[in-house]
Amino acid sequence: MDPYYLVLTTVTLASIYGLLALGISIIWSSLGMINMAQGFTFAVSGYGAWLVAQNISQSGIAVIAAGVLTGALSGALIGAIAFIPLYDKPNFPLRSLIATLAISLCGGQFLLWIFGPRVKALPKIFGYGSYHIGTAVISREKIGSIVCSVALLLITLAWSKNSRRGLEIRAMMQNPEGAALVGVGLRSTAMSVMMVTGAMAGLAAVLLSQNYFVSPFAGATPLVKGMVVALAGGLGSVSGALIAAVLIGFIEAVTAVGLGGQYVLITQFLFIIAVLLIRPRGIGGMIEHSRE
Amino acid sequence: MTDILRVDELSAGYGPLGVLHGVSMTVRAGERIGIVGLNGHGKSTLLKAIAGLTGWQRGSIQLNGVEIGGTRSQGPGRFTHRIVRMGLALMPQGDALFHGLTVADHLDSGAFTTRAWRERKQRRERVLAIFPPLSKLLAQPVGRLSGGERRMVSLARGLMSDAKLLLVDEPSLGLAPKISRGLVEALMQIDLADGAMIIAEQNLSLLEGKVTRLLGLHAGKLKGGAVTQDTALTPHLLHHH
Repeated sequence: MDPYYLVLTTVTLASIYGLLALGISIIWSSLGMINMAQGFTFAVSGYGAWLVAQNISQSGIAVIAAGVLTGALSGALIGAIAFIPLYDKPNFPLRSLIATLAISLCGGQFLLWIFGPRVKALPKIFGYGSYHIGTAVISREKIGSIVCSVALLLITLAWSKNSRRGLEIRAMMQNPEGAALVGVGLRSTAMSVMMVTGAMAGLAAVLLSQNYFVSPFAGATPLVKGMVVALAGGLGSVSGALIAAVLIGFIEAVTAVGLGGQYVLITQFLFIIAVLLIRPRGIGGMIEHSRE
Repeated sequence: MTDILRVDELSAGYGPLGVLHGVSMTVRAGERIGIVGLNGHGKSTLLKAIAGLTGWQRGSIQLNGVEIGGTRSQGPGRFTHRIVRMGLALMPQGDALFHGLTVADHLDSGAFTTRAWRERKQRRERVLAIFPPLSKLLAQPVGRLSGGERRMVSLARGLMSDAKLLLVDEPSLGLAPKISRGLVEALMQIDLADGAMIIAEQNLSLLEGKVTRLLGLHAGKLKGGAVTQDTALTPHLLHHH
């Protein structure tokens, strides 16, 4: 096993899973909602990027911007349907879980209806070619994925640390009632959370679509993996989600190299079961306190 | 003197449970009101109802002449942020802090009401002057602080806003007598200007002789009416303590 290759693959996968898991995790802790429609956001963003690539521009920036924007819009739509009307009703976590699941299923069928069953391919926005690092070869698309997702993660984290809206979201993640008591509007803050996390899923969609095709139900596997990473990280913990993303990415890389790609889901799930048996609150449970 | 708060025939509770039964009271500018009563007789519920946090409520609540009450059967906290922006600060029991955030973050978050946000630096100075121990703890996550320090953060956060009406729920709860006396002293020194303050407290002796009026809350009803600063408590009110 080539250590360079392992590290590079781990970082690539971790950055993409991190985007998805962080979204799921942030939504859970700030809104108290498990967003099953994150996979739909993923799929619809792929189509948004594809439409722009077909009709407007093939340039990398335009395609990425289209994916991110579609993701943000999709997030806002999910928030408007599943959060705004439901959040102050009894049994909100279950209701919103069902609502987002419904959005995800309906949305998938809707995409199938509009775009048909044929898969679409996005242009190779980072171009072809590769570089040598040590003994490993890294393709431009992997470098592009890492740079883009790390950039978006850093921008989001810096924004949440330094802006008023970011402080409002962090306050809401820790204690929604306390946030209301200092004048944070749950609804408007929730919509911005949905848009930011939607944008993350949208970027992940564009980046993953460099290797996979865009299809109506393309979001299912990323949703499951994002959920696994978010759970293993401890729902609601930002640092936990990032650590778990690296671990899960590493497991995927090792399994793919050592055993074969078909065993990846098995080892990943064994890992998360082991984590949750030992630490029921996930990795982040030991780092920070968040919504129980 | 203008009325900061006017509560009329307020009933409130949670689900099937009724806690307050037709409470009426008026708070004028510059007043410090103490609400005393035993556990479970509705002190916290009264403060929560004013902030819109009870399960249901009916009756009128006017803050600075604007109706913020009305009948509501569900959705606790749905309008709390709007009431807060209209000039209310509730420092609740249990403090409602954000455990992972630093003391500085808490003080900033207290200034979310639009006008206060721009002046948050000056406000922070003023609040730190009231609670000097906090200035050394600004970078600490609140989860690491002691109970007394947390109460200070909660009170300081409430004071950061533009609030005309400050509601303080049980400042002494769970603290050593010396510390709670210090906190109440700090609350008494705050310059209310044209605002007002309501303190709910189980420990009558902490407030006696310090507040403008003392009201007794018994079984969800206000008892004893207004007791002025220099009048002794009516025997009937003492009876409950």
